[in-house]
Amino acid sequence: MTGPATARMRLHYVELVLFSTYAELRAERSRSYLGLLWWIIEPAMNMGVYYLVFAVILGSAQVDYVPFLLVGLTLWQWFKSCVSHGGYAIWVQLGLVRQVRLPAQLFPTVQILADSVKFVFILGLLVAILWASGYPPNLTYIALPVVLFIELIFAAGAAYVLAALVPFVPDLRFIIEQVLQVMMFLSGIVFALDRVPEPLRRWFALNPIAVLVDAGRGILMYARWPDWSALATVALISLALFAAGSWLIARLTPRYVKLPL
Amino acid sequence: MSEPIITLENVGVAFNARLRAGSPRFWALEDVSLRLARGQRLGVIGRNGAGKSTLLRTLAGILVPDRGRVVRAAVSCQLLSLSVGFMHHLSGRDNAILSGLMLGLRRREIENRLAAILEFSELGDFFEQPISSYSTGMLLRLGFSVAMQVEPDVLLIDEVLAVGDADFQQKSGSALRQRIQGGTTVVFVSHGDAQIRQVCDSVLWIEHGRSVMLGAVDTVLGAYHAAPHVAKAQ
Repeated sequence: MTGPATARMRLHYVELVLFSTYAELRAERSRSYLGLLWWIIEPAMNMGVYYLVFAVILGSAQVDYVPFLLVGLTLWQWFKSCVSHGGYAIWVQLGLVRQVRLPAQLFPTVQILADSVKFVFILGLLVAILWASGYPPNLTYIALPVVLFIELIFAAGAAYVLAALVPFVPDLRFIIEQVLQVMMFLSGIVFALDRVPEPLRRWFALNPIAVLVDAGRGILMYARWPDWSALATVALISLALFAAGSWLIARLTPRYVKLPL
Repeated sequence: MSEPIITLENVGVAFNARLRAGSPRFWALEDVSLRLARGQRLGVIGRNGAGKSTLLRTLAGILVPDRGRVVRAAVSCQLLSLSVGFMHHLSGRDNAILSGLMLGLRRREIENRLAAILEFSELGDFFEQPISSYSTGMLLRLGFSVAMQVEPDVLLIDEVLAVGDADFQQKSGSALRQRIQGGTTVVFVSHGDAQIRQVCDSVLWIEHGRSVMLGAVDTVLGAYHAAPHVAKAQ
Protein backbone atom coordinates (compact mmCIF):
# COMPACT_ATOMS: atom_id res chain seq x y z
CA MET A 1 0.00 0.00 0.00
CA THR A 2 1.28 3.46 -0.86
CA GLY A 3 2.08 6.18 1.67
CA PRO A 4 -0.69 8.67 0.91
CA ALA A 5 -3.30 5.90 0.81
CA THR A 6 -2.28 4.76 4.29
CA ALA A 7 -2.34 8.31 5.61
CA ARG A 8 -5.80 8.78 4.11
CA MET A 9 -6.96 5.60 5.80
CA ARG A 10 -5.59 6.75 9.14
CA LEU A 11 -7.44 10.04 8.87
CA HIS A 12 -10.55 8.13 7.96
CA TYR A 13 -10.20 6.02 11.10
CA VAL A 14 -9.70 9.12 13.23
CA GLU A 15 -12.94 10.54 11.82
CA LEU A 16 -14.72 7.26 12.44
CA VAL A 17 -13.50 7.00 16.05
CA LEU A 18 -14.44 10.60 16.84
CA PHE A 19 -17.90 10.36 15.33
CA SER A 20 -18.54 6.98 16.96
CA THR A 21 -17.55 8.45 20.31
CA TYR A 22 -19.99 11.30 19.79
CA ALA A 23 -22.65 8.79 18.71
CA GLU A 24 -22.01 6.63 21.77
CA LEU A 25 -22.33 9.56 24.18
CA ARG A 26 -25.34 10.93 22.37
CA ALA A 27 -27.13 7.56 22.35
CA GLU A 28 -26.37 7.06 26.02
CA ARG A 29 -27.80 10.48 26.80
CA SER A 30 -31.08 9.70 25.10
CA ARG A 31 -31.46 6.32 26.76
CA SER A 32 -32.51 7.84 30.10
CA TYR A 33 -34.71 10.63 31.43
CA LEU A 34 -31.94 12.55 33.14
CA GLY A 35 -29.45 11.99 30.35
CA LEU A 36 -26.22 13.89 30.90
CA LEU A 37 -26.94 14.36 34.61
CA TRP A 38 -26.20 10.69 35.16
CA TRP A 39 -22.57 11.31 34.25
CA ILE A 40 -22.39 13.15 37.56
CA ILE A 41 -25.09 11.47 39.65
CA GLU A 42 -23.90 7.91 39.15
CA PRO A 43 -20.32 8.43 40.40
CA ALA A 44 -21.61 10.73 43.15
CA MET A 45 -23.92 7.99 44.41
CA ASN A 46 -21.06 5.54 44.28
CA MET A 47 -18.87 7.88 46.32
CA GLY A 48 -21.72 8.33 48.79
CA VAL A 49 -21.86 4.59 49.41
CA TYR A 50 -18.13 4.36 50.15
CA TYR A 51 -18.32 7.45 52.31
CA LEU A 52 -21.16 5.91 54.31
CA VAL A 53 -19.36 2.61 54.82
CA PHE A 54 -15.80 3.74 55.41
CA ALA A 55 -16.16 7.17 56.99
CA VAL A 56 -19.47 7.02 58.85
CA ILE A 57 -19.81 3.35 59.80
CA LEU A 58 -16.21 2.17 60.05
CA GLY A 59 -14.99 5.62 61.08
CA SER A 60 -11.76 5.87 59.10
CA ALA A 61 -8.96 7.44 61.11
CA GLN A 62 -7.46 8.85 57.92
CA VAL A 63 -6.97 12.61 57.97
CA ASP A 64 -8.66 14.46 55.12
CA TYR A 65 -10.64 11.30 54.46
CA VAL A 66 -13.32 12.86 52.26
CA PRO A 67 -10.98 14.46 49.69
CA PHE A 68 -8.77 11.37 49.92
CA LEU A 69 -11.76 9.22 48.95
CA LEU A 70 -13.06 11.61 46.27
CA VAL A 71 -9.74 11.85 44.42
CA GLY A 72 -9.17 8.10 44.66
CA LEU A 73 -12.61 7.14 43.45
CA THR A 74 -12.61 9.66 40.61
CA LEU A 75 -9.36 8.33 39.19
CA TRP A 76 -10.37 4.75 39.87
CA GLN A 77 -13.81 4.93 38.27
CA TRP A 78 -12.31 6.32 35.08
CA PHE A 79 -9.93 3.36 34.89
CA LYS A 80 -12.63 0.88 35.78
CA SER A 81 -15.14 2.08 33.22
CA CYS A 82 -12.49 2.14 30.47
CA VAL A 83 -11.52 -1.44 31.28
CA SER A 84 -15.00 -2.86 31.63
CA HIS A 85 -16.53 -1.04 28.63
CA GLY A 86 -13.46 -1.28 26.43
CA GLY A 87 -12.87 -4.90 27.43
CA TYR A 88 -16.22 -6.02 26.03
CA ALA A 89 -16.17 -3.75 23.00
CA ILE A 90 -15.00 -6.20 20.33
CA TRP A 91 -17.15 -9.02 21.68
CA VAL A 92 -20.24 -6.79 21.62
CA GLN A 93 -19.48 -5.68 18.06
CA LEU A 94 -18.74 -9.09 16.55
CA GLY A 95 -21.71 -8.66 14.21
CA LEU A 96 -20.14 -5.52 12.79
CA VAL A 97 -16.70 -7.13 12.63
CA ARG A 98 -18.23 -9.79 10.37
CA GLN A 99 -19.85 -7.23 8.10
CA VAL A 100 -17.20 -4.66 7.35
CA ARG A 101 -13.47 -4.55 7.16
CA LEU A 102 -12.31 -2.26 9.96
CA PRO A 103 -9.46 -2.48 12.47
CA ALA A 104 -11.03 -4.11 15.54
CA GLN A 105 -9.01 -1.79 17.79
CA LEU A 106 -11.39 1.03 16.88
CA PHE A 107 -14.16 -0.46 19.02
CA PRO A 108 -12.43 -0.42 22.44
CA THR A 109 -10.89 2.94 21.55
CA VAL A 110 -14.34 4.48 21.11
CA GLN A 111 -15.43 3.21 24.53
CA ILE A 112 -12.28 4.52 26.19
CA LEU A 113 -12.72 7.95 24.62
CA ALA A 114 -16.39 8.10 25.60
CA ASP A 115 -15.51 7.25 29.20
CA SER A 116 -12.70 9.80 29.14
CA VAL A 117 -15.07 12.57 28.02
CA LYS A 118 -17.29 11.77 30.99
CA PHE A 119 -14.24 11.68 33.24
CA VAL A 120 -13.31 15.23 32.23
CA PHE A 121 -16.66 16.48 33.53
CA ILE A 122 -16.28 14.61 36.80
CA LEU A 123 -12.69 15.81 37.21
CA GLY A 124 -13.88 19.40 36.74
CA LEU A 125 -16.46 18.90 39.45
CA LEU A 126 -13.91 17.26 41.74
CA VAL A 127 -11.47 20.14 41.39
CA ALA A 128 -14.25 22.63 42.13
CA ILE A 129 -15.20 20.72 45.27
CA LEU A 130 -11.57 20.60 46.40
CA TRP A 131 -11.14 24.35 45.92
CA ALA A 132 -14.32 25.02 47.85
CA SER A 133 -13.17 22.82 50.72
CA GLY A 134 -9.74 24.36 51.22
CA TYR A 135 -7.43 22.64 48.74
CA PRO A 136 -6.54 25.55 46.44
CA PRO A 137 -5.01 25.24 42.95
CA ASN A 138 -1.22 25.13 43.02
CA LEU A 139 1.87 24.94 40.84
CA THR A 140 2.05 21.13 40.87
CA TYR A 141 -1.13 21.07 38.77
CA ILE A 142 1.29 21.24 35.83
CA ALA A 143 2.16 17.59 36.54
CA LEU A 144 -1.47 16.47 36.51
CA PRO A 145 -1.76 16.01 32.71
CA VAL A 146 1.27 13.70 32.83
CA VAL A 147 -0.34 11.56 35.52
CA LEU A 148 -3.66 11.46 33.66
CA PHE A 149 -1.99 10.61 30.37
CA ILE A 150 -0.16 7.65 31.91
CA GLU A 151 -3.43 6.47 33.42
CA LEU A 152 -5.10 6.73 30.01
CA ILE A 153 -2.36 4.61 28.41
CA PHE A 154 -2.59 2.04 31.21
CA ALA A 155 -6.39 1.87 31.03
CA ALA A 156 -6.30 1.57 27.24
CA GLY A 157 -3.64 -1.14 27.43
CA ALA A 158 -5.64 -3.19 29.93
CA ALA A 159 -8.82 -2.67 27.89
CA TYR A 160 -7.11 -3.74 24.64
CA VAL A 161 -5.72 -6.93 26.15
CA LEU A 162 -9.15 -7.89 27.49
CA ALA A 163 -10.95 -6.78 24.34
CA ALA A 164 -8.64 -9.04 22.33
CA LEU A 165 -9.35 -12.09 24.50
CA VAL A 166 -13.01 -11.79 25.53
CA PRO A 167 -14.37 -12.87 22.08
CA PHE A 168 -12.53 -16.19 22.49
CA VAL A 169 -13.22 -16.63 26.19
CA PRO A 170 -16.48 -14.78 26.95
CA ASP A 171 -16.31 -16.37 30.43
CA LEU A 172 -13.71 -13.74 31.30
CA ARG A 173 -16.63 -11.38 31.86
CA PHE A 174 -17.43 -13.12 35.12
CA ILE A 175 -13.89 -12.68 36.35
CA ILE A 176 -13.23 -9.11 35.25
CA GLU A 177 -15.62 -7.52 37.73
CA GLN A 178 -14.14 -9.52 40.61
CA VAL A 179 -10.57 -8.74 39.66
CA LEU A 180 -11.41 -5.05 39.37
CA GLN A 181 -12.98 -5.14 42.84
CA VAL A 182 -9.86 -6.70 44.36
CA MET A 183 -7.65 -4.32 42.45
CA MET A 184 -9.55 -1.35 43.85
CA PHE A 185 -8.77 -2.41 47.40
CA LEU A 186 -5.15 -3.17 46.55
CA SER A 187 -4.73 0.26 44.99
CA GLY A 188 -5.52 2.26 48.10
CA ILE A 189 -8.66 3.85 46.71
CA VAL A 190 -10.88 3.68 49.80
CA PHE A 191 -8.23 3.21 52.46
CA ALA A 192 -4.55 4.05 52.59
CA LEU A 193 -1.95 1.37 52.00
CA ASP A 194 0.32 2.54 54.82
CA ARG A 195 -0.27 -0.65 56.74
CA VAL A 196 1.16 -2.82 53.97
CA PRO A 197 4.20 -4.67 55.38
CA GLU A 198 7.57 -3.43 54.12
CA PRO A 199 8.59 -6.48 52.00
CA LEU A 200 5.37 -6.21 50.01
CA ARG A 201 5.63 -2.50 49.33
CA ARG A 202 8.07 -3.02 46.49
CA TRP A 203 5.42 -5.03 44.65
CA PHE A 204 2.64 -2.60 45.44
CA ALA A 205 4.76 0.16 43.92
CA LEU A 206 4.45 -1.63 40.57
CA ASN A 207 0.68 -1.29 40.60
CA PRO A 208 0.15 1.62 38.22
CA ILE A 209 -3.17 2.65 39.73
CA ALA A 210 -1.75 2.86 43.27
CA VAL A 211 1.12 5.03 42.06
CA LEU A 212 -1.07 7.23 39.87
CA VAL A 213 -3.72 7.76 42.54
CA ASP A 214 -1.03 8.60 45.06
CA ALA A 215 0.46 11.13 42.64
CA GLY A 216 -2.99 12.58 41.98
CA ARG A 217 -3.69 13.03 45.68
CA GLY A 218 -0.30 14.63 46.19
CA ILE A 219 -0.98 17.18 43.48
CA LEU A 220 -4.61 17.99 44.23
CA MET A 221 -4.45 17.91 48.03
CA TYR A 222 -0.92 18.69 49.19
CA ALA A 223 0.78 20.58 46.30
CA ARG A 224 3.33 17.75 46.31
CA TRP A 225 5.26 16.88 43.15
CA PRO A 226 4.88 13.25 42.01
CA ASP A 227 7.60 10.65 42.60
CA TRP A 228 9.04 10.84 39.10
CA SER A 229 10.96 7.56 39.18
CA ALA A 230 7.90 5.61 40.35
CA LEU A 231 5.92 7.40 37.65
CA ALA A 232 8.48 6.47 35.00
CA THR A 233 8.31 2.79 35.97
CA VAL A 234 4.54 2.89 35.78
CA ALA A 235 4.69 4.66 32.40
CA LEU A 236 6.88 1.85 31.05
CA ILE A 237 4.53 -0.82 32.35
CA SER A 238 1.60 1.03 30.80
CA LEU A 239 3.30 1.42 27.44
CA ALA A 240 4.24 -2.26 27.40
CA LEU A 241 0.64 -3.22 28.12
CA PHE A 242 -0.62 -0.82 25.47
CA ALA A 243 1.73 -2.28 22.88
CA ALA A 244 0.86 -5.85 23.87
CA GLY A 245 -2.86 -5.14 23.64
CA SER A 246 -2.58 -3.46 20.24
CA TRP A 247 -0.45 -6.31 18.95
CA LEU A 248 -2.86 -8.95 20.26
CA ILE A 249 -5.87 -7.32 18.64
CA ALA A 250 -4.11 -6.94 15.30
CA ARG A 251 -2.91 -10.50 15.53
CA LEU A 252 -6.31 -11.96 16.41
CA THR A 253 -8.49 -9.83 14.12
CA PRO A 254 -8.65 -12.39 11.27
CA ARG A 255 -9.93 -14.94 13.77
CA TYR A 256 -12.81 -12.89 15.20
CA VAL A 257 -14.63 -13.22 11.90
CA LYS A 258 -14.39 -16.98 12.08
CA LEU A 259 -15.81 -17.43 15.57
CA PRO A 260 -19.13 -19.27 15.75
CA LEU A 261 -22.13 -17.01 16.18
CA MET B 1 -9.52 -10.61 -21.04
CA SER B 2 -7.80 -7.67 -19.36
CA GLU B 3 -5.49 -7.92 -16.36
CA PRO B 4 -7.42 -9.45 -13.40
CA ILE B 5 -8.00 -7.13 -10.43
CA ILE B 6 -8.66 -9.99 -8.01
CA THR B 7 -7.39 -13.53 -8.36
CA LEU B 8 -8.28 -16.41 -6.06
CA GLU B 9 -6.09 -19.49 -6.28
CA ASN B 10 -7.36 -22.65 -4.58
CA VAL B 11 -8.72 -20.66 -1.68
CA GLY B 12 -10.02 -22.42 1.42
CA VAL B 13 -11.65 -20.82 4.48
CA ALA B 14 -12.30 -22.70 7.71
CA PHE B 15 -14.53 -21.78 10.64
CA ASN B 16 -14.56 -22.97 14.22
CA ALA B 17 -17.61 -25.08 14.83
CA ARG B 18 -17.84 -24.23 18.52
CA LEU B 19 -16.29 -21.90 21.02
CA ARG B 20 -13.83 -24.36 22.50
CA ALA B 21 -10.12 -24.73 22.22
CA GLY B 22 -9.41 -27.51 19.73
CA SER B 23 -13.00 -27.66 18.52
CA PRO B 24 -13.27 -29.14 15.03
CA ARG B 25 -13.08 -26.76 12.11
CA PHE B 26 -15.27 -26.98 9.07
CA TRP B 27 -14.29 -25.74 5.66
CA ALA B 28 -16.92 -23.37 4.31
CA LEU B 29 -14.73 -22.92 1.24
CA GLU B 30 -12.58 -25.87 0.22
CA ASP B 31 -11.03 -24.97 -3.08
CA VAL B 32 -12.21 -22.00 -5.09
CA SER B 33 -10.32 -20.33 -7.90
CA LEU B 34 -11.40 -17.36 -9.95
CA ARG B 35 -10.10 -14.35 -11.85
CA LEU B 36 -12.08 -11.16 -11.79
CA ALA B 37 -11.36 -8.59 -14.50
CA ARG B 38 -12.18 -4.89 -14.34
CA GLY B 39 -15.74 -4.32 -15.51
CA GLN B 40 -16.66 -7.98 -15.24
CA ARG B 41 -20.06 -8.86 -13.83
CA LEU B 42 -19.73 -12.24 -12.26
CA GLY B 43 -22.69 -14.21 -10.94
CA VAL B 44 -22.18 -16.87 -8.26
CA ILE B 45 -24.61 -19.78 -8.04
CA GLY B 46 -24.79 -22.88 -5.89
CA ARG B 47 -27.08 -24.46 -3.35
CA ASN B 48 -27.56 -23.23 0.21
CA GLY B 49 -24.41 -23.81 2.19
CA ALA B 50 -22.24 -24.07 -0.92
CA GLY B 51 -20.08 -21.24 0.40
CA LYS B 52 -21.39 -18.34 -1.68
CA SER B 53 -21.54 -15.80 1.16
CA THR B 54 -18.17 -16.94 2.50
CA LEU B 55 -16.74 -16.36 -0.97
CA LEU B 56 -18.11 -12.80 -1.04
CA ARG B 57 -16.68 -12.00 2.39
CA THR B 58 -13.33 -13.38 1.29
CA LEU B 59 -13.41 -11.14 -1.78
CA ALA B 60 -14.28 -8.21 0.49
CA GLY B 61 -11.16 -8.89 2.54
CA ILE B 62 -13.18 -9.52 5.71
CA LEU B 63 -12.19 -13.19 5.77
CA VAL B 64 -8.56 -14.18 5.37
CA PRO B 65 -8.11 -17.54 3.62
CA ASP B 66 -6.65 -20.44 5.60
CA ARG B 67 -5.13 -21.89 2.46
CA GLY B 68 -4.63 -20.81 -1.11
CA ARG B 69 -3.90 -17.29 -2.24
CA VAL B 70 -5.76 -14.05 -2.85
CA VAL B 71 -4.06 -11.53 -5.12
CA ARG B 72 -5.69 -8.15 -5.15
CA ALA B 73 -4.80 -5.06 -7.17
CA ALA B 74 -5.13 -1.71 -5.36
CA VAL B 75 -8.92 -1.67 -5.59
CA SER B 76 -11.66 -1.07 -3.05
CA CYS B 77 -13.99 -3.98 -2.58
CA GLN B 78 -17.22 -3.56 -0.69
CA LEU B 79 -20.12 -5.75 0.24
CA LEU B 80 -23.42 -3.98 -0.33
CA SER B 81 -24.56 -3.99 3.31
CA LEU B 82 -27.59 -2.17 4.64
CA SER B 83 -27.77 -0.43 8.01
CA VAL B 84 -24.17 -1.13 8.99
CA GLY B 85 -23.51 0.15 12.52
CA PHE B 86 -26.93 1.77 12.92
CA MET B 87 -27.69 2.86 16.51
CA HIS B 88 -31.28 2.98 17.75
CA HIS B 89 -31.24 6.23 19.64
CA LEU B 90 -29.58 8.30 16.95
CA SER B 91 -31.31 10.32 14.26
CA GLY B 92 -31.44 9.21 10.64
CA ARG B 93 -28.89 11.90 9.82
CA ASP B 94 -26.39 10.78 12.48
CA ASN B 95 -26.85 7.16 11.47
CA ALA B 96 -26.22 8.03 7.84
CA ILE B 97 -22.92 9.67 8.80
CA LEU B 98 -21.92 6.82 11.13
CA SER B 99 -22.78 4.13 8.63
CA GLY B 100 -21.09 5.99 5.78
CA LEU B 101 -17.89 6.29 7.82
CA MET B 102 -18.00 2.57 8.61
CA LEU B 103 -18.43 1.78 4.93
CA GLY B 104 -15.28 3.71 4.12
CA LEU B 105 -16.48 7.20 3.21
CA ARG B 106 -14.76 10.28 4.58
CA ARG B 107 -16.76 12.60 6.82
CA ARG B 108 -16.74 15.33 4.17
CA GLU B 109 -17.90 12.97 1.43
CA ILE B 110 -20.82 11.74 3.47
CA GLU B 111 -21.82 15.26 4.56
CA ASN B 112 -21.93 16.27 0.89
CA ARG B 113 -24.26 13.40 0.14
CA LEU B 114 -26.70 13.85 3.01
CA ALA B 115 -29.10 15.80 0.80
CA ALA B 116 -29.08 13.00 -1.76
CA ILE B 117 -29.62 10.40 0.99
CA LEU B 118 -32.53 12.37 2.41
CA GLU B 119 -34.12 12.69 -1.00
CA PHE B 120 -33.61 9.09 -2.09
CA SER B 121 -34.82 7.64 1.21
CA GLU B 122 -38.01 9.79 1.14
CA LEU B 123 -37.80 10.17 4.90
CA GLY B 124 -38.70 13.87 5.03
CA ASP B 125 -38.86 15.20 8.59
CA PHE B 126 -38.21 11.74 9.98
CA PHE B 127 -34.58 12.15 8.91
CA GLU B 128 -33.96 14.17 12.10
CA GLN B 129 -35.85 11.70 14.33
CA PRO B 130 -34.26 8.73 16.12
CA ILE B 131 -34.45 5.63 13.96
CA SER B 132 -36.11 3.75 16.83
CA SER B 133 -39.27 5.57 15.66
CA TYR B 134 -38.93 4.23 12.10
CA SER B 135 -40.96 1.49 10.46
CA THR B 136 -39.14 -1.48 8.94
CA GLY B 137 -39.66 0.01 5.50
CA MET B 138 -38.20 3.37 6.52
CA LEU B 139 -35.14 1.65 8.00
CA LEU B 140 -34.55 -0.28 4.78
CA ARG B 141 -34.92 2.91 2.74
CA LEU B 142 -32.37 4.73 4.87
CA GLY B 143 -30.03 1.71 4.86
CA PHE B 144 -30.19 1.35 1.11
CA SER B 145 -29.77 5.08 0.45
CA VAL B 146 -26.61 5.16 2.57
CA ALA B 147 -25.21 1.95 1.10
CA MET B 148 -25.66 3.34 -2.41
CA GLN B 149 -23.42 6.30 -1.61
CA VAL B 150 -20.41 4.04 -1.37
CA GLU B 151 -18.85 3.55 -4.78
CA PRO B 152 -16.30 0.76 -4.54
CA ASP B 153 -14.29 -0.46 -7.53
CA VAL B 154 -15.73 -3.90 -6.93
CA LEU B 155 -19.29 -4.15 -5.67
CA LEU B 156 -20.24 -7.38 -3.94
CA ILE B 157 -23.94 -8.17 -3.72
CA ASP B 158 -25.45 -10.96 -1.65
CA GLU B 159 -28.93 -11.73 -3.01
CA VAL B 160 -30.46 -8.35 -2.32
CA LEU B 161 -31.06 -6.29 -5.42
CA ALA B 162 -34.03 -4.32 -4.20
CA VAL B 163 -35.57 -3.53 -0.83
CA GLY B 164 -38.70 -2.05 0.72
CA ASP B 165 -42.29 -1.85 -0.43
CA ALA B 166 -43.32 -2.25 -4.08
CA ASP B 167 -42.57 1.36 -5.05
CA PHE B 168 -39.22 1.51 -3.36
CA GLN B 169 -38.27 -1.89 -4.75
CA GLN B 170 -38.72 -0.47 -8.21
CA LYS B 171 -36.66 2.57 -7.34
CA SER B 172 -33.85 0.80 -5.46
CA GLY B 173 -33.67 -1.96 -8.05
CA SER B 174 -33.29 0.47 -10.91
CA ALA B 175 -30.71 2.55 -9.02
CA LEU B 176 -28.63 -0.55 -8.43
CA ARG B 177 -28.99 -1.79 -12.00
CA GLN B 178 -27.91 1.64 -13.19
CA ARG B 179 -24.83 1.40 -10.99
CA ILE B 180 -24.04 -2.09 -12.30
CA GLN B 181 -24.51 -1.15 -15.92
CA GLY B 182 -22.40 1.95 -15.37
CA GLY B 183 -19.30 -0.23 -15.62
CA THR B 184 -18.68 -1.18 -11.99
CA THR B 185 -17.11 -4.58 -11.46
CA VAL B 186 -19.72 -6.73 -9.73
CA VAL B 187 -19.87 -10.07 -8.01
CA PHE B 188 -23.48 -11.07 -7.50
CA VAL B 189 -24.67 -14.04 -5.46
CA SER B 190 -28.17 -15.17 -6.38
CA HIS B 191 -30.61 -18.05 -6.54
CA GLY B 192 -32.61 -16.43 -9.32
CA ASP B 193 -31.73 -17.33 -12.89
CA ALA B 194 -33.61 -14.33 -14.22
CA GLN B 195 -31.60 -11.89 -12.10
CA ILE B 196 -28.33 -13.57 -13.01
CA ARG B 197 -29.16 -13.34 -16.72
CA GLN B 198 -30.17 -9.73 -16.34
CA VAL B 199 -27.09 -8.61 -14.42
CA CYS B 200 -24.14 -10.89 -15.16
CA ASP B 201 -21.84 -11.58 -18.09
CA SER B 202 -20.29 -14.71 -16.57
CA VAL B 203 -21.14 -17.20 -13.85
CA LEU B 204 -19.24 -19.22 -11.27
CA TRP B 205 -20.90 -22.34 -9.94
CA ILE B 206 -19.70 -23.56 -6.55
CA GLU B 207 -20.68 -26.73 -4.74
CA HIS B 208 -19.57 -27.84 -1.25
CA GLY B 209 -17.04 -25.03 -1.22
CA ARG B 210 -15.42 -25.97 -4.51
CA SER B 211 -15.62 -24.19 -7.82
CA VAL B 212 -17.31 -26.50 -10.29
CA MET B 213 -17.55 -24.36 -13.39
CA LEU B 214 -16.72 -20.85 -14.49
CA GLY B 215 -17.88 -19.52 -17.85
CA ALA B 216 -20.57 -17.87 -19.94
CA VAL B 217 -23.98 -17.40 -18.32
CA ASP B 218 -25.96 -19.83 -20.49
CA THR B 219 -23.35 -22.57 -20.38
CA VAL B 220 -22.98 -22.59 -16.59
CA LEU B 221 -26.69 -22.18 -15.82
CA GLY B 222 -27.43 -25.01 -18.27
CA ALA B 223 -24.91 -27.34 -16.66
CA TYR B 224 -26.09 -26.37 -13.16
CA HIS B 225 -29.70 -27.29 -13.90
CA ALA B 226 -28.71 -30.46 -15.72
CA ALA B 227 -26.79 -31.69 -12.67
CA PRO B 228 -28.71 -34.50 -10.85
CA HIS B 229 -28.77 -32.88 -7.39
CA VAL B 230 -30.65 -29.86 -8.71
CA ALA B 231 -33.54 -32.01 -9.91
CA LYS B 232 -33.60 -33.66 -6.50
CA ALA B 233 -33.45 -30.39 -4.62
CA GLN B 234 -36.31 -28.78 -6.52
